[in-house]
Amino acid sequence: MMLEYFNDMISGIEAKQELGKSSARSRFALELAHLGRGLYSRDGTVAWCGILAPFDLLHAMGVRSCFVEFVGAMLASTGTIGPMMEQSEQLGYSTDGCSYHRAVYGAMAQGLMPEPDFLIGTSAVCSAGLASIENLAGHYGKEMYTIHVPNDDSSEAIAYLADQFRELPHFVARQTGRQLDPGHLREVVDRTNRMRELTLEIYRLARQVPTPARRRDLANFGIVSALFLGSPGGVEVVEAYRNEFAEKVATKNPGLPNERLRLLWIQNRIQFTNPLEKLLEQEYGAAVVADELNDINWDPIDPEDPFTGMARRALSVSFCGPAEHRLQVLTRLARDYQVDGAINPCHWGCRQGTGARGLLERGLRDAGVPTLNLEVDCVDPRNFSEGQLKTRLEAFMETLARRKSSWLN
Amino acid sequence: MPFLGVDVGSLSCDAVVIDDKGKLIGWTVVPTGARNIESIMRARAEVLERVGLTESGVEALIATGYGRDRVEGRLAAVTEITCHARGIQALLPGTELLVDIGGQDSKSMRLDGKGNVMEFAMNDKCAAGTGRFLEAMARALEIGVDQLGDLDRGALGNVTLSSMCTVFAESEVVSLIAEGAEVSEIVRGLHRAIANRTLALVRRVAPASQGLKIAMSGGVARNPGVVRALGDALDCKISTPAEPDIVGALGAALIAMERAQRH
Amino acid sequence: MKEENRKIGFTCAYTPLAVIDAAGFTPHRILPLGNAADQAGMLLHDNMCPHVKKILDRALSGNLPDLQGVVFMNSCDAMRRLADAWRSARSTDPIMILDLPIGADDRSAVYFTREIKKLATWLGSMGGERVTGAGIVSSVKKYNRAVTALGRASESAVAGELRGGRRALQNLFNLSVTSPVDEIPAMVDQLLQENELKKKALVPVFVFGNVLPDPEAFEMLASCGVRVVLDDLCSGSRQLCELDASAAATAWGDLARALLSRPACARSLPSLEPGEHGRRILTMAQECGAKGVIAHVMKFCDPYLVRMPVIRETLRSAGIPLLAIEGDCTQRSLGQQRTRIEAFVEMIGGSPS
Repeated sequence: MMLEYFNDMISGIEAKQELGKSSARSRFALELAHLGRGLYSRDGTVAWCGILAPFDLLHAMGVRSCFVEFVGAMLASTGTIGPMMEQSEQLGYSTDGCSYHRAVYGAMAQGLMPEPDFLIGTSAVCSAGLASIENLAGHYGKEMYTIHVPNDDSSEAIAYLADQFRELPHFVARQTGRQLDPGHLREVVDRTNRMRELTLEIYRLARQVPTPARRRDLANFGIVSALFLGSPGGVEVVEAYRNEFAEKVATKNPGLPNERLRLLWIQNRIQFTNPLEKLLEQEYGAAVVADELNDINWDPIDPEDPFTGMARRALSVSFCGPAEHRLQVLTRLARDYQVDGAINPCHWGCRQGTGARGLLERGLRDAGVPTLNLEVDCVDPRNFSEGQLKTRLEAFMETLARRKSSWLN
Repeated sequence: MPFLGVDVGSLSCDAVVIDDKGKLIGWTVVPTGARNIESIMRARAEVLERVGLTESGVEALIATGYGRDRVEGRLAAVTEITCHARGIQALLPGTELLVDIGGQDSKSMRLDGKGNVMEFAMNDKCAAGTGRFLEAMARALEIGVDQLGDLDRGALGNVTLSSMCTVFAESEVVSLIAEGAEVSEIVRGLHRAIANRTLALVRRVAPASQGLKIAMSGGVARNPGVVRALGDALDCKISTPAEPDIVGALGAALIAMERAQRH
Repeated sequence: MKEENRKIGFTCAYTPLAVIDAAGFTPHRILPLGNAADQAGMLLHDNMCPHVKKILDRALSGNLPDLQGVVFMNSCDAMRRLADAWRSARSTDPIMILDLPIGADDRSAVYFTREIKKLATWLGSMGGERVTGAGIVSSVKKYNRAVTALGRASESAVAGELRGGRRALQNLFNLSVTSPVDEIPAMVDQLLQENELKKKALVPVFVFGNVLPDPEAFEMLASCGVRVVLDDLCSGSRQLCELDASAAATAWGDLARALLSRPACARSLPSLEPGEHGRRILTMAQECGAKGVIAHVMKFCDPYLVRMPVIRETLRSAGIPLLAIEGDCTQRSLGQQRTRIEAFVEMIGGSPS
């Protein structure tokens, strides 16, 4: 089913490209579809991973890798997640758990998760993520490499994480019979660094007032492009975005005409079709100009010492370390993007992220960023109470409209 | 001498008398109301009157249900799970899966075909899918709850409720009526909603239920629409005893008999 | 020289208590007990594990003894957020967060050894004694003595001889982490002297899960007919474990390794092998003579809830009955589950008294 979905997606986008209707977002979608197709057709070596696995390193070893939450998001966006959720509940998986992982468990039980060749668990960003990888490893009888992501970014912590990354190729080699080729790794690191540069430019352009980005342009961008790091396709995607945004800025072509309000979207977008973002744009001229995870806060990887750079990169993610770190990231984004307010979709079952709801609300308020908390399940549409969410959003927008943005002075 | 079983539920208090061979000789169902002690006394008095006995004429009493610890003179308190298993075995021997939907909770249990529980699951955190849910919906439709059962016959389509929450669903039904939706379709939607919810409870104890002898008990089993909807969801025929409300109390009386006869 | 009862608060059973003791402080577990007002949800989120919320509620309402500082372990998402909230709500408290690896492999042990040393340094900065290898060995010995004493109390409870039954045992477990460790053996002896032969609750059950420190919860279980013959709870038998660190020269590393390898909470995976928890629970269930297993897992505890389907299946395949109940650390929430527990007891053979 998912294979068909990705095949359709690919042919659809390619058809449009033939007609000259190609956008950066469709290039991104194409790359994502290729990844999805590769995973579901078990084309080559497949690894399921935690979110902080070094995907470029795996790419350098010829492994097609992805984080499992991707499946949850895909099932949500195709509207097919319901049966997976029911299945996992029947098997005793509490409905208190994050639906990304619950969906994956249900998909696994129904035989709809592509069987991996091996797995890589990461202790961050969350406990449930690691446990999910363990479940999959047990179910498929495949080996699991566990990466303990430290809670701080001291030099010892970085060295410890770098060590685990350094050893990862040996584990992968045992699974695939293929060694890590240093020349290949260099190439990959070069591409990663190139992507990093281009992505920084994309974000710089996106920060313009008004933003060149349309509503869905950068949705899930940061998270998913991490999967493309180090790949030729990844470079093409970010080049397309950079070029498109540069042109739009040069020709004064904003993503949302009559942009009146600028919003920071915290954590993740709602993955299933819903009318909220469109409502914000049409009724309030409110554009989501920044996403928490559309952020690069790491230095170029040193090809002489790639594992240290990758370790630093992992630890730079806002979910690592204390809530203070997250607040720093969010406040910086709010300032850089000159946002009027922030929306925190408190994802059901998320302990690591949503668990900091109160702290983030306080911290952002102290930094002068009004924040709206929305209790929503970003992946399971069965409990989506549109009316209630709309009411809250509308009330929030009304208060924002009355304030002038504190950054624009 | 006869045995007495009393099931003190949140909505009704049921009392059953059986003879020393386990045969049902009388029963009664009394609304529990706010003071369950009084209802318990009333239920006991009524059933004994019906069979022409006094308290001293009863050999032993087992109490079950939510208020089981309030029943005086009991030999023991046994949970309604165990009692329902025994009760349904007497009424529909060989039952392997029982679904009991009561006033405000629902249970499913996997049985060994001999009246013993192998596994059970309960949903007592919320009234969705229970008798209370149906009562609220009947109120919204302005009909008696015992009329709901056959109202879905002839429904061509069905309406899907967006919320299982009893409170919100009631509002939703009122809106649907105002919008001119067919009552038969609304009722069918309600029955299906309950069936789906109940299905989840069944799957917790029986991931695969094909070929099992399945029965339903509790007040909601009187609603043929729900029974049919659940049968559709499970793809099987579901049996219901003639008197589905007294299964627990009957089981309690049978357990009283077993225990007394053991000594 | 130990100043009278200078306390360091801790919240997770993985905390290196021997180091705190060796530095001359008394570790004090901030147990999720009491009736502090529910404020944690506002600072964090309502859907956080009750363990962490109740600890935070105690802190927010000042329901804490005098603490010199608090140690947090990076055990799970909830604990990380607890540490964050503490920093925000009690910014004058000196706090320390120790990282906790997942496995018990060599690299993790080396890393954790460094973390333990950081703890010692921090305690030193608060006027603690310098911790040496010999000091660790001596403190570990004290804790091991306490573990042995508690083991005797456990046996007595299982045999139905302990005065106050499992409730009294839980009380002891709670005291063992809120009193100076030297006092534990004497407390146990005192209680054992007053043995009584009680009517045993009928059905032997193995209880596993995470946190259940309310002694009344065990009284309630007993009243449902449950005889807890073994527990795997971090507020119970898993709270203090016998640790092997007996040589001064290697004490730091030994302690680190011993802590990582101890009977594990679901957040850890000492062997790094998938399914380890299910297997361990199965073995314990089979070896303790229980007729059934009760899983008491706190609501919103991800390390457990994500693994429950596998644990459930492992037990089911071995034909071992399981009752999974969700709790919030209190007797009250358990009381609402009375019918389930009694039904389970009836099911596995035996009727409530």
